[in-house]
Parts: sequence; structure tokens; C-alpha cells
Amino acid sequence: MKKVKIIAGISWAFFCLILIIILFPGLNSFSVSVSKLPFMKLNPRYTGGEIANQIIVESCTLDIRKPVFNGFLKEKNSGFVQLDWHGTIPNTIKDSIDYDHDGNKDFCIFIDRKDSKTILYPINKKVISVLISTPTSYGWAVRVELIK
Amino acid sequence: MDNASKIAGMRKSFGKSLLYTLPMFLITFMFMTGGKPNFADPASGLAILTAFLLVNVLYFFMHYTGKTDRYRAVLFIIFALSLSYTLIHNMLEVRKSMSFSQADILECKIPFCHLVIPMMILPAIFTKSIIFPGSIIGGFANISSMIVLWLVATLVLGRGFCSWGCFYGGWDDGFSRIRKRPVIKKISELWKWMPFAVLIMVTLSAALAMMPTYCSWICPFKAVTEFEQVTSVESVAKAGIFLTLFGGLVVVLPVMTRKRTQCSFLCPLGAINSLSNKITPFTVKIDKKACNECFKCVGVCPLYALTPEDIKAGKVSLFCSKCGKCVDACSTKAIHYGIRGIPAGTMKNFSRNLFLFVSFLFMAVFSAGSIISTFQGLLKLIF
Ligand code: SF4
Ligand code: SF4
Repeated sequence: MKKVKIIAGISWAFFCLILIIILFPGLNSFSVSVSKLPFMKLNPRYTGGEIANQIIVESCTLDIRKPVFNGFLKEKNSGFVQLDWHGTIPNTIKDSIDYDHDGNKDFCIFIDRKDSKTILYPINKKVISVLISTPTSYGWAVRVELIK
Repeated sequence: MDNASKIAGMRKSFGKSLLYTLPMFLITFMFMTGGKPNFADPASGLAILTAFLLVNVLYFFMHYTGKTDRYRAVLFIIFALSLSYTLIHNMLEVRKSMSFSQADILECKIPFCHLVIPMMILPAIFTKSIIFPGSIIGGFANISSMIVLWLVATLVLGRGFCSWGCFYGGWDDGFSRIRKRPVIKKISELWKWMPFAVLIMVTLSAALAMMPTYCSWICPFKAVTEFEQVTSVESVAKAGIFLTLFGGLVVVLPVMTRKRTQCSFLCPLGAINSLSNKITPFTVKIDKKACNECFKCVGVCPLYALTPEDIKAGKVSLFCSKCGKCVDACSTKAIHYGIRGIPAGTMKNFSRNLFLFVSFLFMAVFSAGSIISTFQGLLKLIF
């Protein structure tokens, strides 16, 4: 029994030695395999959610994303909708948004990019406030707080 | 040759030490140069050469002197400093600031760090998604590669990761070595269970809030990496917390106690790593027959991993990070590196040689990139 334990311990140690030697040369392929695991995708709270609607005016595109209410075991009561403008964006943005696609505008948003000023005009009672309004590498992004 | 090394025969002759260094020499050469040293750019050539010599000289001295901790600590501390230097330098170049903006979060451009791992587990199981604004694959410190690195290191080294792999541990390890004698000699042993409480708290709070709460609110190492832009009352509070924790647990208390207090009393990943000590092949063992119960090892352990009761029972606790400080301090070499299954007091040299090769190789290769780019930066500053 003692011998078996010793052999098992040494075998385990040598297996680990091999693992460390191949770890760095194989890091890229191991990482690609891990990235394909079912849970290896960013939560919509971080990506901003899927794009639900795209509005193109001349060379400026507005992406309206799906509202995000993702929670741990169930959906949260408060969430957000993310809007992304890219392309050639005017210095002042004025847009009316129907985020739930019911045919009615839910809020209007006014952005003065020079002064970094954002004003929200809620129409739907579920629209609460501006959580984030910021320049990005691709243009401008806004997250508007919503309740269910 | 000192008495302790003589007794255990851990010290090797010059030639034998060179022979033991040869495999490390060849493997680190391949990793650092890609097999083709390129000296077209003298600064980068010199930086690679310096880093290469540094790791191999340290490894040689581990064999030649029979001492582990002092040479491990040199590379471990340089790793921590160079990683912070590289990160801050890159951020200042790209963003002109150490803080990240809301846009960086929205565009998921935040480098991933292993301390996030405990907070990812529950959301990954229940929502099948990752709650971190980083890149899944590709780019600097992406989530997939950091998970692979941590997973393998934890499987192989257990809590040894905290003394041979973590690029934060070198900070409090470094500060704990500044004074010769501790000013504060006794801290309640109970505090060492605190990381488990922090682990439970941050795991649950992160799942409920769907965000890495430890990173947002607590992590002291934001002081030496990156942090949220200070634009609101909330961000001021966050900055106050991480700066206080860094000052207290990473600088002041380690200096006063000569212990790694952040790693002992706060880090939730340290708690997970401690649990993984149960499965790793490499351990620290106590040969009760050789032990004269002087308890020198208890006094020097930087992670409160040893008590007189542990020594009497012949067992090192699960908090052990395999740093080797107790092994170096023991005058009878009763406490030594071992391999699971091999009885204490036997095959000491074989176990130490194998453990040192595995753990040092991990640290040398993991740290190489940031050490080389730090040397490059320093050379550019000088010339
Ligand atoms: S306890 Fe935490 S910070 Fe310290 S070395 Fe371990 S993982 Fe790193
Ligand atoms: S028990 Fe020894 S090897 Fe383990 S952490 Fe303490 S000093 Fe380091």
C-alpha cells in the first residue's frame, strides 16, 4: 500500500511537471478551447445586449439594443437599454426611441457632444434616467435606466 | 556552507548546481527568445538577456546554497513591481491615466485578473455567462487565458500559486521583509479564517449584484494597477477604501508584523487556493523524528500557516503557500518539501528538486514578459 501511494504521488507530480512544460507553448490553443465552453460569453449587463434595431440616417447609424434586465436567478426589476451611435455623428444628437417596439416613442434623448451634456425626456413611465453617456472608440454610447 | 544545509545535504556542488540549472536554462531560453535570439534592437536584446540571466542565476543559487525562499522572493517581488510598471506604463501611453473610463467598461476593454475568478463561479453556473467587462479571447490579459493559467497553477501548486505565481503577492511579501524584527508580534490566529468569510461574502454579493464586487469595492491592488475614474461620490468612496486597504494591509501591517497580512487576512482567491492544497502533488512535510520543537518555523511563516500544535501533530496547515521560508529556517531540516504519498523524512532532495523545477519554471515564464518590458523601459530611460 505504501509503495502504491509513493508511485501514485510521484506519477501525479510528473504529470504536473509535464503540464507546466506544455502550459505556455499550448496556452493559445488551451485558451481557445476554454473560450468555447458554454458559459464563456459575457453577460448582457457588460456587452449592452443584442442589437434589436438599427436606424441609419445618412452616414450615421444608431443601434438600439434589447433592454437588459438580467439577474442572477431571475430577471431584475431595474435594467437598462443601450444606444450606440457610430459612423459620422453630428455634434448634437436628437433622437426619439421606441425601445419596446410597440409603435410608441418611449423617450427622447438630446446629446450635446461638445459639452458632454445629455438630456433625457421620458415619455414612457418605465424610463427613469441616464445611467451612462460617454464618447467611445466607435462614436457615442448611452445607457438609459428602465424599470419593468 | 551553513549548518542547516550541511545537515540535510540540500546544498549542491558548483558543477551539480550547474547541471540542475541546465534544463531551466534551455527552457527559459526557448520561451524568452522563441529559439531565435534577435539583437537587431539592442534595448530589447539587452532586456531579454538580463531577464534570462536573472532567472537562471536565481535558480542556480537555489541549488547551490540549498536555500529557497530568499531567491524565490527576489523574482516574486520583481514580478510584482514589473507587472505594475508594465500595466501603468501601457495605461499612461494609451489612456494618459491610470484610471479606466466608462467607455472602457462599455467596450469590455478591462484586463482580467485572477482575483475575479471566485466571483465568476456562481453566475457562470446559473446564468451561463461571465460578469466581467473584459475580452473572452484575444488581447491583453483575456479571460480565457487567465483562467487556464490560474487553473493549471492551482492544480499543480495549490496555494503555492500565492508564493510562486500571483503578481500581487510580491507586494506584501516585499514590505514584510523591510524590518529585521516585527513591531507587532501577536495577531489573533482567528484572523486567518477571514479570507474564507470574504470569499463567501464576495461570491454571494457578486452573484446578486451581477458584478465583481471585490474588484469594484475592495481590491487593494487597484492602487498599483488601474481603477475607476473618480467622478462621483461613489467612486470617491471606492478610492478611499482601496487606498486604505493598500496602505494598511499591503504596506503598514506587513512592515510591522513581517507577515503577508493582505494575503493572510483578506484575499478571497487565497482561500480557494488553500482548499486546492488538498489535491496538489507537492506539499511541505514535517519529519517528527527529526524535529526538536524549536518552533523557529512557526515564527518565520509569513502566512500564519504553522502553529506549535501543527508541528507537534506533524502536519502543515492548508494555508501553506510553499514559500520555503520555514524550510530554510529549520536547523534540522525536519520541515521539508515533499510529494504526496511519500512519507515525511524520505526522498527530501528528490521532492525539492522536482518541486523547485515546476514552481520556478512557472514563475520564470509567467513573469518573463513583464520583466523584459520593464527592463526595456528602464534601458530607454537611461540611454
Ligand atoms: S492571497 Fe491573493 S493576493 Fe495574495 S498571493 Fe494569493 S491570490 Fe495573490
Ligand atoms: S508553512 Fe513554510 S512554506 Fe508554508 S507558507 Fe509557512 S513558511 Fe511558507
